[in-house]
Amino acid sequence: MADRDFYQILGVSRDASQQDIQRAYRKLARQYHPDVNSDPAAAERFKDASEAYDVLSDPKTRSRYDAFGPDFRQVPEDMDPQTWRRMQAGARAGARAGAGASSGRAGPGGPGFSYTPGGDIDLDELFGGLFGGRAGRGFGPVPGADQTTDIRLTVEEAYHGTHRTIRLTGEDGTRTVDVTVPPGVTDGQRIRVAGQGGRGSDGARSGDLYLVVRIAPHRLYRLEGRDLHVELRLTPWEAALGTAVAVPTPGGEANVKVPAGTSCGRRLRLRGRGLPNTRGEPGDLFAEAKIMVPPRPTDAERDLLEQLAAVSDFDPRRRE
Amino acid sequence: MTYAVVRTTELDLDHFAAATGMHPELVRKFVTLGILDATCDPAGGLWFAPSQVAAAARIQRLRAGFALNYAAIGLVSDLLDRIAVLQTALRRARQPGG
Repeated sequence: MADRDFYQILGVSRDASQQDIQRAYRKLARQYHPDVNSDPAAAERFKDASEAYDVLSDPKTRSRYDAFGPDFRQVPEDMDPQTWRRMQAGARAGARAGAGASSGRAGPGGPGFSYTPGGDIDLDELFGGLFGGRAGRGFGPVPGADQTTDIRLTVEEAYHGTHRTIRLTGEDGTRTVDVTVPPGVTDGQRIRVAGQGGRGSDGARSGDLYLVVRIAPHRLYRLEGRDLHVELRLTPWEAALGTAVAVPTPGGEANVKVPAGTSCGRRLRLRGRGLPNTRGEPGDLFAEAKIMVPPRPTDAERDLLEQLAAVSDFDPRRRE
Repeated sequence: MTYAVVRTTELDLDHFAAATGMHPELVRKFVTLGILDATCDPAGGLWFAPSQVAAAARIQRLRAGFALNYAAIGLVSDLLDRIAVLQTALRRARQPGG
């Protein structure tokens, strides 16, 4: 990234010693190497740090970088920094084509070297040696590393499946990836997107991108794998006498039959009404009974409850 | 009454070298490679937290045991630290009621 300051990338001051620069680079490299850190953004940081270190670790290129800034590679070897600055200012100010004017002035400065910006120097050759050479050193083409990133879904999206466009900041800048999430993914599951990971060197294949599914907590549902848990609120008489209750699920309402004599905490299972599964059995729906009493009973309710208390010999605290 | 000017819990280069049995120049090299953490005072002296003595011992063991170079030891040390953090978290998550 030519527009970012190499010192800033390494997190060192401009007067840092060679030791400080090496220490900063080593630490960043260990943190952001694509095989250590599978975050797509890490690949970009690693590349930036390597580029910065390539330049700043060599006192010669470092002094040229200090003198000429990010464009130092386009500056001839024996250019005087002040002349270069004058040239740059002239190129910016001049209304005529800047290239011709500045090359005319640069010519006499370098004996035996005629420089035409953008003309004689093969940039590919210059850069190729620096960046292509790093990965390809004696290995031939090396496939790219796999990358991992989180994808956050609601319970409804996990149930029905969804499409997502994900923006990733990687070594080639920002890219977008279209992903189809199949119905019935579970929390922590990995979705593989082939060929969307780190770039391979010298035309080798790219790594894969893995999306780790994170399902956000839901107001009504709790997920355990593909099993869906909901709370089933009942009145004491519904629990005692039995009833049928409509329970919301992401796939529409499900009818739960509550048998007579249901106590708090009893789990009623509806087989196959949990999250769907494209490869096998779907999950189950568990409705857990929770008995609620009227917080402020009416006189009539209180009368009836007192009658019940007088008649009943049920003791929930008796141990058999 | 006198007060210590420097942080007494930290070790200077000579004391650190003595505590680890390493040559001070080797200690400096480890700091440059980023495999030992040290703070630098205004006079250029290095100061080490006591925990770095154990870190230095691990570096020496890894070097002797696996014939790793120092750059590789930095990576291995980082990964071992990460594994230790994850294992602790895993043990906590497995403890009933934890």
